Amino acid sequence: MARAVIRRLVFGLIAVIGVVTLAFVLEFVVPGDPAKAIAPRAQSPAVLASIRAQLHLNQPVIVQFADYFGNLLRGNLGTSYVQHQPVASLIGPRLLTTGALALAGVVAEVIMGSALGILATLYGRVRALVGAINLTLLAVPIFVLGLVLLLVFGFRLGIAPVTGGAGAAQLALPALTLGLIGAPWYAQIVADQMQDSLASSYVRTAVSKGLSDAYILRRHVLRNVLSPAITMIGLDLGAYLSGVVTVEVVFVWPGIGLLAVNALHDLDRPIVMGTVIVGAVAVVFFNLVADVARMFVDPRTREEL
Amino acid sequence: MLVVCAGLAVAAPLFGNPYHQDLVHGLGPTGLPVGPSATYPLGADLLGRDELTRLVFGIRVSLTVAIVSNATSIVIGAAVGLLAGYFRGPVEQFLMRFTDVGLALPYTLAGLVIAAVMSAGMTRVIVIITVLFWSYPARLVYGEVLRLRARGFVEAGEAMGAGGLMIVRRHLAPHVASMMIAYSPLNAASAVAFEATLSYLSAGINPPTASLGNMISDGQVAISYAPLLVIAPGLAIMALTLAFLLIGEGLKAYNPDLRRLSWLGR
Repeated sequence: MARAVIRRLVFGLIAVIGVVTLAFVLEFVVPGDPAKAIAPRAQSPAVLASIRAQLHLNQPVIVQFADYFGNLLRGNLGTSYVQHQPVASLIGPRLLTTGALALAGVVAEVIMGSALGILATLYGRVRALVGAINLTLLAVPIFVLGLVLLLVFGFRLGIAPVTGGAGAAQLALPALTLGLIGAPWYAQIVADQMQDSLASSYVRTAVSKGLSDAYILRRHVLRNVLSPAITMIGLDLGAYLSGVVTVEVVFVWPGIGLLAVNALHDLDRPIVMGTVIVGAVAVVFFNLVADVARMFVDPRTREEL
Repeated sequence: MLVVCAGLAVAAPLFGNPYHQDLVHGLGPTGLPVGPSATYPLGADLLGRDELTRLVFGIRVSLTVAIVSNATSIVIGAAVGLLAGYFRGPVEQFLMRFTDVGLALPYTLAGLVIAAVMSAGMTRVIVIITVLFWSYPARLVYGEVLRLRARGFVEAGEAMGAGGLMIVRRHLAPHVASMMIAYSPLNAASAVAFEATLSYLSAGINPPTASLGNMISDGQVAISYAPLLVIAPGLAIMALTLAFLLIGEGLKAYNPDLRRLSWLGR
């Protein structure tokens, strides 16, 4: 098991290094002069040249890359061109607000998804209905759902705030949006696994041994549902932490995604690169955590990979 | 549903000029857009342009992007997966680690970064979707090839003296192709949604060209008094996505391996 974890860790590291390289290459070809982005009003070539020298922009690409990578290892993501602050300290607090949203979203989708899945399993007649709900939710683009929720609960019913910000009241609608979009996947997993394990021989054995329903559900059924659900939660946490960009833009939730969108408009390269790298690390990290957690819950997966 | 959308897309020019601004009739006395009427079935947008005309042109864009980028991403993904699964060794390591990079990319953020280096338009959207969408099918195909290998397809072919190309073409490609055909509706549905997302964030197709995503971002400032400007293109995106998903459901029903994955129950 330890070997499998280390193997995964190495692959994850390679992937992150790849993303860093890719982000660097892409950012390097972005049109626009960073020196001008830093000092928009500076006209004299001498000033621009000195800014370029300060940023080592006059160095060969490979030197710049080595510099960037070295700084990255020391936790330094560079300095914002526009806000003149270290990128790491700009991203840090944003990561927390995005994290709060990601967590709320995952909780919402797990609750709603499990409810739908359990309903579909227990009552055969609603199964088709749940399927239709799932399919519809899958088809809604996330920002459209967000805008519609904002329209209904914010503007028409007036029970949710329509102004942005990172308060508890502002968290409800974006979390609900993420929850509704994610729910079908969990509903599918829960329904599938429950149906399979309820029909299995080990549940029949347990029933015939006279074990209580609650015990069977907890010991046999829940464990089977948990294993794929954990993988899914890991994927989602990683994806949401890398900035649920559109949701943050719709609700003006001041997280990583909003930071990245604004930085892109300002041609603020270090921030854009920083968010992409932090996002990639989040994706890789949570996939790894999910895999390890799964190995604990489901011994069968320990042998895989 | 898809046929209707495709029909609308092809017939789009019949609906009129999507850029035509009618400041006299399209905007009310206060300068706000007029609601639905006989001349403007879905009302006019904030610049006094017919929303319905722009909608069908937007559908045209979405469908083109979905079809082209679906093809490119699946062809690239399948090729990478096949090569990695067939050759093994260093080729496999290189290609699959590269695929890992693709899978680790935060979708929307990476899309924004690529968008920054290209000029707005359909090509940009197709490139972004291809770059971000090839890695998942690559992973699927790779897994499938490894499974086929375990079942002895490749060894049997080699024992019979078939060349590498022959084995790929005769033994691996048919399985992979049927898998990819089943996967492509889902892929196309995601492409429709992602095109809308990019254009919504002004990282895809920018105004004045109509796209369902940029129509929503234009209309959202008016959401409290002209919600149709958001809802109509939103429903169009949904209809397109749902159409692709339902095709996927249909394909799954005929393929016993995939029936398990069906959304509408077994």
